Amino acid sequence: MNTKKEKFPYGIPGHNLGEIEREIPIEEPPVWPVNDKLKVIGKRVTRIDALDKVTGKAKYTSDMKLPGMLYAKMLRSNVPHAVITSIDISKAKNLTGVHAIHLIENSPKEGEENTKGKYPMVKYVGQPLGGVAAESLEIAKDAIALIKVNYEEKPFVIDMEAAMEIGAPIVFDEPITQQEDGGDVGEVHDGSKGQGNVRGPSTSSFFGGPRGDLEKGFAEADVVVERTYRTQVHTHMPLETHGVVVDWKPDLMMVYTSTQNTNNVRNEMASIFNLPKSKVRVVCDFMGGGFGAKHSAGSFGPMAANLAKKSGRPVWLMLDRQEEHLAEGNRPSSKQYLKIGAKNDGTLTGIQQRSHGTAGVGLGAGVGRIAQILYSCPNFATEQYDVLTNAGPGAAWRAPGNVQGAFGLEQAIDELAEKLKMDPLSYRDHIDKSEVRKVERQRGAALFDWSRRQPAGSGKGVVKKGLGVGQSTWPRFVTLDSSVEIKIHNDGGVEVRSSVQDIGTGTKTILAQVVAEELGLQVKDIKVNIGDTFFPVGPGSGGSVVTGSITPPTRNAAFEAKKELLNLVAKKWETDAAELFISDGQVGHNTDTELKMSFKEATKLMRTSQISKTASRSDDYGGFQQPWGLAYGDLGSVQFAEVSVNTNTGFVKVDKIVAAHSCGRPLNIGQLESQINGGVIQGVSYALYENRVMDKSTGHMVNANVDQYKVPFSMEIPEIESIIVEEYSARSSTDAYGIGEPANIATAAAIANAVYNAIGVRIYEIPITPSSILKALNKVS
Amino acid sequence: MNKFSWYEAKSVEDALQQVNSTVSEELYQHTNKATVFKSGGIDVFDWVKEGLLQPEKIVNIRNIPGLDKISYDQKKGLSIGSNVTLEEIASNPEIKNNYLALHQAVNHASTPQLRNISTLGGNIAQHNRCWYFRSVDHQCRRKGGDRCFARHSETGENENHAIIDNSSCVSVHASSISTALMAFNASVVIINSEGEKKIVSMDDFFVSPAKDIGMENILTAKELITEIILPAPSKNSRSAYIKEVARESYDWSLADVAVVVEVSGNTCRKASIVLGAAAPVPYRSLEAQQAIENKIINNDNAVAAAKAAMAIAKPLAKNGYKVPMFTSIIEQAILQTT
Amino acid sequence: MEDKNQGSDPKKTKSITRRSFLRGAGLSTAGSVLLTTNTFALDYKEQLAAGKEFGPEAMTIKMKVNGITESLSVEPRTTLASALRDHLELTGTKIVCDRGSCSACTVYLDGKPVNSCMMSVFDVGDKEITTIEGIAQNGKLHPVQEAFIEHDATQCGYCTPGMVMSCVHLLDTNTDINLEDVKKATRGNLCRCGTHPHVFKATLSASKKTT
Repeated sequence: MNTKKEKFPYGIPGHNLGEIEREIPIEEPPVWPVNDKLKVIGKRVTRIDALDKVTGKAKYTSDMKLPGMLYAKMLRSNVPHAVITSIDISKAKNLTGVHAIHLIENSPKEGEENTKGKYPMVKYVGQPLGGVAAESLEIAKDAIALIKVNYEEKPFVIDMEAAMEIGAPIVFDEPITQQEDGGDVGEVHDGSKGQGNVRGPSTSSFFGGPRGDLEKGFAEADVVVERTYRTQVHTHMPLETHGVVVDWKPDLMMVYTSTQNTNNVRNEMASIFNLPKSKVRVVCDFMGGGFGAKHSAGSFGPMAANLAKKSGRPVWLMLDRQEEHLAEGNRPSSKQYLKIGAKNDGTLTGIQQRSHGTAGVGLGAGVGRIAQILYSCPNFATEQYDVLTNAGPGAAWRAPGNVQGAFGLEQAIDELAEKLKMDPLSYRDHIDKSEVRKVERQRGAALFDWSRRQPAGSGKGVVKKGLGVGQSTWPRFVTLDSSVEIKIHNDGGVEVRSSVQDIGTGTKTILAQVVAEELGLQVKDIKVNIGDTFFPVGPGSGGSVVTGSITPPTRNAAFEAKKELLNLVAKKWETDAAELFISDGQVGHNTDTELKMSFKEATKLMRTSQISKTASRSDDYGGFQQPWGLAYGDLGSVQFAEVSVNTNTGFVKVDKIVAAHSCGRPLNIGQLESQINGGVIQGVSYALYENRVMDKSTGHMVNANVDQYKVPFSMEIPEIESIIVEEYSARSSTDAYGIGEPANIATAAAIANAVYNAIGVRIYEIPITPSSILKALNKVS
Repeated sequence: MNKFSWYEAKSVEDALQQVNSTVSEELYQHTNKATVFKSGGIDVFDWVKEGLLQPEKIVNIRNIPGLDKISYDQKKGLSIGSNVTLEEIASNPEIKNNYLALHQAVNHASTPQLRNISTLGGNIAQHNRCWYFRSVDHQCRRKGGDRCFARHSETGENENHAIIDNSSCVSVHASSISTALMAFNASVVIINSEGEKKIVSMDDFFVSPAKDIGMENILTAKELITEIILPAPSKNSRSAYIKEVARESYDWSLADVAVVVEVSGNTCRKASIVLGAAAPVPYRSLEAQQAIENKIINNDNAVAAAKAAMAIAKPLAKNGYKVPMFTSIIEQAILQTT
Repeated sequence: MEDKNQGSDPKKTKSITRRSFLRGAGLSTAGSVLLTTNTFALDYKEQLAAGKEFGPEAMTIKMKVNGITESLSVEPRTTLASALRDHLELTGTKIVCDRGSCSACTVYLDGKPVNSCMMSVFDVGDKEITTIEGIAQNGKLHPVQEAFIEHDATQCGYCTPGMVMSCVHLLDTNTDINLEDVKKATRGNLCRCGTHPHVFKATLSASKKTT
């Protein structure tokens, strides 16, 4: 491989910015300087699709209307555990306006339970059983109401701790495999180990297994904190529900869907219907939120396709709000035991973690790897168990695992600091080796004015103020299968094409920025056509992988296209292409200032009507921690919370959050702030409000709506100030990473620590409600 | 929603000719042949969307002339037509000046969008929000079943439910505006299909489930609310309203209280104290009233009144927090009247 | 001050050209799958005729939307939200909770914001509907829309039409607003991405520009 040596900016401006030399492939574009010296990157560029959004013109999957399109509704179980003895569709079939009915039949995959009946066994309320396509949604609903399902009901279990008991009703009689859309990213959950409903444990990760000797570690400890923390199940509740429009043409299955992963949906549909990938096209232009739950075609995708096949018409199938809550994913609960030991000087000597969580009928209820890697500790072990219950399956939910794990770990570290008589922030300086988090602590503490923090519970009056802090880490994941095509048309138009989708984070805009920066154009000159599997495969929008995976090949493809264009200009000017550059829409020459040509003019020199260059994600400069794309470094954050607690009514209000974050080279400050706001607000929601409430006697979720499933609205939004720390690590041609997950990890822990600081009593379970505050204060008899 | 036909009522009498059931009756009997009326329609459409109410016909009373007036007279008091929207009440300056607690209660209720649709008649006649009652999958006693799911000491999800008078259905009434109306000794003007008018005090309007599980208020299918009237406030009366919620933006009450007092100097001569979200219907706390009447309004006496109100509370497994919460807001509301 | 009230004044005749839109919509509206019992649309007087019964089958009625009189075939159970989205293809109005709890379906009824998911299309009568598509005038954005773009007040964008409707109404009815006013105006608008801080900022900045 031909290589070259280049000097890159390295470190944190205003702290330790320097340079590093890396040997990189010869075809990589030249080094970008720090953001200060760039024109488009790192600026507050407005979102390129904002106009469509504010005028109501943006078309989402739910807005699709095709000629002859039918509306579909799914049939779902209303009992938590049963064998289906029969399904009578005769009345529904005869309803005027009904065009197709499809029932899901029993076809167990290898490793799954085979119930031998005609229909799969019912394992939770809301499980999909079938669907109807009709001329209107109202008719489809009428038809569903006419279908009679006969069940032979079986004992069920909803409560996690009840499910762990010997003699509890068994959810699956046999080993199960990891569900496609599991809750814990990157972890292996073994459903074949364990007893009864308790499966696992998972004890190792890509960061390795247990280390050191825990017994010895705790023997060396002067101070030990040993606690159990509990977190609730919460559902994603994206505004646009899961759904799809399938238009099955003779030679092409067209799938419009609200997804975080067009490529994955394409692959699933091709595999289910035994079609070549080339004959399935998945398109997602706008989508109304996913937060981790929308990576798959689910059961609604195949259902719509089956109904389209049976009816010969395009079929629209969007779930309603209740279905969304019941069946389309949730963050698993957790019950985490943590034991942490430290010496009197604060040095950690041992961390032991044991967790149980339920992702309902699925696996993936881990608490992540935050306890394993956030702080240096020689002795560590974790055991993470999945507990199966008769409830809807979990799904990845923004920073899966780590959000639950941080809630426990970051409270335990606070408690340890207190025992060591150290300030919780300076204690973290002592045990956290991350340079970027150090800067985040410093800058955050200054903006937040951490120095005003008083001893726990020392405030006077009924409403007590409290301050707290929490930290996070998230791996830098890179999806190597990330490709982009750049087209320069001979009318000066520039186009970006990839199957990668914009889930509201602003992917379209950052791609336009990268190309504009590279081509010396403006963002408005770049047309971004993404979210379409007819284009090169891009990454799924999950795990904060998109920016780090797709912006380097985008820049590289633009660089290649530019080179070809400049070669044409060089030929015309009879000069060396290496002397040419494009800036402000003009091609110029390094030394001969007389030579000038507009970009548009230059494109007229092309022999064909377009230059097309496709690039794929190259390996990180200097390689990976793990060859599949686990990069060096992490995406850290430090968040500070200020709360008010009314000690008479138990009412908690988050007044302010300061969120200090890093994501490598920041690309778009406004969009990064938006994502931080979002992560923080979801963290506030997790800490104080939302909770899936299930009746244990019937197996039904009783708050499967927007009204009773509490999430924050405008008056619950704290003042949020964000600090984005530039951090250069010279790992790719853009050196940029995402921020979606880290923004969500530390918030609940910071709030819990602040609540403790306010009232002097620690609460180990979320959501923290008036009831839990009043109980903690011994005001409830 | 199921298919239903729509009747545009021209008058109260016309509407009453059409209607054959109250929503409560239909929820209990499931005939699927009911003709019910709706004003703003928020509560009725909610039931229809859940599939719990499948009416044959809906009679729209929203456009009946004459039911949308607010009038205030210093001597006669206040009259609010049943079709007046919550937003119209919230923005009425005379209500704000003379019935502060009512203004506060309305101001705290619902969202801007819903307040432009919801009417006062519909608000006080709406049904409770118990999530089992509202679920098609839970055949509770109010729907003709034989169980109260919420009561169950181990599995009942009853954090939002009643702590007083909860021996039958444990739901709480959904209208926090009613809490304030009752504290102002409001009455409901009802017309029946014979054209007869009756005036019922708010205290007698609501029906406790212990008395009749099948209804939440006294209205029969042949009756319609036309206005809500409030006596003129005395010169020395003052009022306050406090509502505790999980979320301030908009939410159902966890605990709310309206206090109306008549004072001479600092002494409370007469007190009207009503609790919302404490019992299946808005609950007048005679205990708190007695404790504060003829006493100086100060911290100690307010605390004593609040404690007296809560002495009879019998919380369920998950709503014990409501007792200290009510104690706190009753005390605060009394003190706010000084 | 010219811009004031443009968004919601029901009396002002909208001059927005929607011919091209109607052409586009014509095909599928004509192919509407619901049965039509009346060939001619009822006029407003007939729709509001007291003492009359309609439905339950579909019938053709008239409705004024964004200054244009539309005819559409609907049942009494058809919600206003569904009429706008499914029959007129004005899909900027979103259905999220379908119970009046999220305000994504906000439209103006004679200038007042309401939840279109909780009303029958028969509730409309002769009142004029304004949807998100009718907020910009002759291609000129409302200052709130401009500010939403400038301050990145959108993420996934699904709550955005409802948020814009709430904030436009606030500015069109109030000249001097503060953060609390914006919070109150949007307190019924669900957003899951957490755009609220930027929505607040945008609306406050738009208010400075319009006064």
